[in-house]
Amino acid sequence: MPGPNHTPAVLLLYFAQIINSGLALGSVYGLMAIGFALIYNSSRLINFAQGELLLLGGLGLFSLTQAMELNPFLALAAASIWGFLLGHFLYATTLGLAMSQSPLRQLMLTVAASLVWQGLAILVWGKKPLLLAQLLPMPEVRLGSLYFGRDTVTAMVLALASGAALSFFLRHTRRGRAIRAVSMNPLAARLQGINPKASHALAFALAGVLACMAGMAVGPQTMLRYDMGLGLGLKGFVAATIGGYSSLSRVFLGGLGLGLLEAALVLLVSAELKEALSFSLLIGLMLLMPMTSHEERA
Amino acid sequence: MPAQPQAIKRAASLGLKHCALLVLTLAVLGPFVPDYELLGLNQHLLLALNVLALNFCLGLGGQASLAQGAFCGLGAYFSVLAHQAWPEASPLILACVALSAWGIGFGLSYPMEKLGEGFLAMATLGLSLIFTNLAVSLSSITGGPDGMLVTTPLSILGLNLRGDIAHYYVFLALLAGGLYLFLALRHSRLGRALLACKSDPMAAAACGIRRPAVRSLSFGLGAALSALAGAVYAPYGGFISPGEFDLELSLKTLLYLVIGGPGNPVRPILAVLGLESLLSHAHFLGDTRTLFHGLLLGAALLAPVAWKRLRKK
Repeated sequence: MPGPNHTPAVLLLYFAQIINSGLALGSVYGLMAIGFALIYNSSRLINFAQGELLLLGGLGLFSLTQAMELNPFLALAAASIWGFLLGHFLYATTLGLAMSQSPLRQLMLTVAASLVWQGLAILVWGKKPLLLAQLLPMPEVRLGSLYFGRDTVTAMVLALASGAALSFFLRHTRRGRAIRAVSMNPLAARLQGINPKASHALAFALAGVLACMAGMAVGPQTMLRYDMGLGLGLKGFVAATIGGYSSLSRVFLGGLGLGLLEAALVLLVSAELKEALSFSLLIGLMLLMPMTSHEERA
Repeated sequence: MPAQPQAIKRAASLGLKHCALLVLTLAVLGPFVPDYELLGLNQHLLLALNVLALNFCLGLGGQASLAQGAFCGLGAYFSVLAHQAWPEASPLILACVALSAWGIGFGLSYPMEKLGEGFLAMATLGLSLIFTNLAVSLSSITGGPDGMLVTTPLSILGLNLRGDIAHYYVFLALLAGGLYLFLALRHSRLGRALLACKSDPMAAAACGIRRPAVRSLSFGLGAALSALAGAVYAPYGGFISPGEFDLELSLKTLLYLVIGGPGNPVRPILAVLGLESLLSHAHFLGDTRTLFHGLLLGAALLAPVAWKRLRKK
């Protein structure tokens, strides 16, 4: 923790450190937050199993790296297909089965899915942390006093490229516009011939792709462990709440903000209390946020 | 319409009979249970108390909570730390534990009610992770991840509470009190307001029910009951650690309530006692336990949907 006798150079070093590690994790939170917002806006469902999408996404890539050598393009293609399939499967086993059920029952189904996926991760990959190799190696970048490590640059590139691709898809393709229409008004969208179920499924699948990209970014940073999904999923939820769910860029910035705040807390307050402080922020935000309820919005 | 109050009275009396039968059966069976089985049974009763506590939130108010484990742990740690300072003040400490947990539950649920159930569930998940993080990090107070020894027993009416059978009856008394409160609340005006909020929040609000106040009250009661269960459990094992009150306890609580049926006072408790007794002998489950719990929860949630579809066909 910087004291009163620290020179400006040391304070600058602390600042650079906060930016570097904050952006590395913040990009992952941003991707998770976009996935959360995508599913929430399309189906008004809070996906409890979002973290497990990241977990199984990352672990699947880990197994693939063990079986064969992946160049960056192959890794990106594999992550996209695997994430897409995972997301679709999650939809088919949760919301797809309980479309007419109450929101609470749908939420609890995602809790059940989260437990099942975590159980599968334990059975297939065990309880030991596994290090995912850096599949998209990027060079380190120095900008004056700021330093961005390889993991940070990779995570930022992955997050920004995924965000841009998703934004393009949602704005300029027929299926993307269908997702947006269902988000805005499901009934009117249906009257225009859009199938809401297909849009929900696609939103889940896209959230799966984003989670897989997040897994690819976080695997080399913190390793992959069977119980990491819940915490990371909740961080994504915090970030989406900070961003307000309405715009992709704001939600992503919410993730970056949370990552930077956490990095600052680790360096200036306590690494051990990082989780408690982040989740307290979530509760504080939700107590203060001027949002109306799901029923009232619908 | 005289038929409706009659039907309500009949339902209330039937519920009371079922609960009394359950508690009396457990009370009579207690002395015949071998000592080595009582330890497991007391742990099942702790889970049953948490399930009943969640029933106040979910069964009556329709609000899912993933913080029952955290409330239980909060009660346990608060009670242990307070007993270290005031060993003879158990009744006062238990009252403070219940009141504080009620305050936290009420304070969390009240502003969150307007956001919908999903947001409250995520906030309670956050609370659960905050509790575990604090209990692990503040090692000078809580003993950290290794936990802390509990040497001071509960002292009620001048008697120190020690041993399996004494704790068994205290858990049972707490269960009986909780069941009575649940039934009394469910068949009161307030309970009917809660059920109205659960089945149609908009219509309930249109009928003049103050949804946040009514729901927060039952959410707080659930938190208080979990905290009391934790406070009684802490001196029983002689040791507490954050791992005993982590998210797994909350998820198990939700699992058994969903299996038994939210709103029903007896079935979830029978589900805990029956299935937990079976599962505690199922050592072969090993690492598949999490997967098994998930599949069980999914099956319990989807069974009514499948049943409806079958009947339609």
